[in-house]
Amino acid sequence: MIILENVSKIYKNGTKALNDFSLEIQDGEFVYIIGETGSGKSTLIKLLNGEEIPTKGRVIVNGTNVGRLRFGKVPLYRRKIGVVFQDYQLLKKKTVYDNIAFALEVINKPKEEVRNRVKEVLGIIDLANEFNSYPTQLSGGQQQRVVIGRAIANSPSILICDEPTGNLDPRHSKEIIELLEKINKSGTTVIVVTHDYVLVDTYKKRTILLDNGSIISDNPEGGYVHV
Amino acid sequence: MFMFRRIGRAFKEAWWGIRHHFAMVSSTAVTITITLVLLSVLSLLIANINQITYDVEEEIQVFVKIDKDVEEKDIDALKTKVGRIAGVSEVVYSDADSELTYFIEQYGEAGKIFEIYRNDNPLSRAFIISVATGFSISEVSKQIELIDGISEVNFGGATIEDFINLLDGTRRVGLIFTASLALLAIYLIYNTIKITIHSRREEIGIMRLVGATNSYIRVPLVLEGIFIGILGSIFPCLLTIFGYKYIYEVMNGQLVSGILKLIDVFPFTLYVSGFVMIVGIFVGWIGSWLSASRSLRWKR
Repeated sequence: MIILENVSKIYKNGTKALNDFSLEIQDGEFVYIIGETGSGKSTLIKLLNGEEIPTKGRVIVNGTNVGRLRFGKVPLYRRKIGVVFQDYQLLKKKTVYDNIAFALEVINKPKEEVRNRVKEVLGIIDLANEFNSYPTQLSGGQQQRVVIGRAIANSPSILICDEPTGNLDPRHSKEIIELLEKINKSGTTVIVVTHDYVLVDTYKKRTILLDNGSIISDNPEGGYVHV
Repeated sequence: MFMFRRIGRAFKEAWWGIRHHFAMVSSTAVTITITLVLLSVLSLLIANINQITYDVEEEIQVFVKIDKDVEEKDIDALKTKVGRIAGVSEVVYSDADSELTYFIEQYGEAGKIFEIYRNDNPLSRAFIISVATGFSISEVSKQIELIDGISEVNFGGATIEDFINLLDGTRRVGLIFTASLALLAIYLIYNTIKITIHSRREEIGIMRLVGATNSYIRVPLVLEGIFIGILGSIFPCLLTIFGYKYIYEVMNGQLVSGILKLIDVFPFTLYVSGFVMIVGIFVGWIGSWLSASRSLRWKR
């Protein structure tokens, strides 16, 4: 469960990114966060990921007060959170298999466990036949699926996606959202930050609209609400 | 098993860093080599200077003539008085007869001619004084001169003191110069590792994203620095052993004269090359550790 209590975030340069922001996301939910550039979406992801600490208020993720995490504990916390960015951030010199395995190797998972889990993940992202390909040999949609595969490799309870379809055409965007739905159905909380209002209207899920660091609307029925 | 895997990975990644930034690694290693060659030369020089200084100081004695008016019963009290002066390490009394014997021995066979003075000895009784260090010899002599019952004080004069000061000055300048070079080497390794971190920023970013600990990211970078340090110290180590051996043989194990002896090649050169290697490793470690810590710090 994710709880943000009266969170404000003011950067060192004086930019107010979030303003007395409160939000609750239950386990297993699928939530869209939408809003214009500068509305506070990226800051929200950084707070959830432990990259930034709130200026005021509390960010509680699965019982952990993220803002109070000691520096050394942040990596351990991140192992429970999967993050996907718009720019694929894949290691070009590693194969699909190695890119996914990388996420498990750097947290010292045993080889056998890495092998089994990567096979499983390749099945989930439907890229079992491309395991030996390099990122440059894949389409944008396939690359984004590899990134999602890497993010879920360690079976996180929360998956945060920042504009996962930002660089994709409608067909590949649809594939990505369907993949995220599949992951969500297995019990993972999925948070998708997006600009793609068509997608939000097509695959209706709880939708939170941000503006100037505050929640303008929180629509549990889904779909883009014009305010 | 877990530890072995982790160590294996760290070595693999450090090796990757060296292969992928070979030009940068090579130039840094060459600079470390130059630094360590100078360090080696200075170490050999300083160790020999220390040895020579020690030998010279061992030889330094102050010759103190006792006034003829001083009675035999007062000699012990006078000896104690002289012995109490700061910087005096040993006072040996030599009566007039011993002085004459020593004088005669100095001239060998020809000296026997002075035996005629055995019964009417013109020489004074004396104290032969050893000083703790060569630096104090002038000051010690001045203080002895002030004591009642002392007629004359002799030592090698300013020349010995100047020589010791020169040796000490060389030692100090050498140490400062070497320390400066070591700092330069640390700075160079610092920059090399910074470049490695920059060229691997994507990979490091992903590592952070998926929860790799800072130590997991840092260890291969520090190892890379240590490898560069070892690479840079191989030539200086060989030069220390074979170069010093060559010089020792050419100079016949001595400097200027037989009094100023060079330190034997073994195990001396092994100690110095071990020291050079340790400095290389230390410089590599500290430079890379500082660089990695600085680049990875304050980023959550």
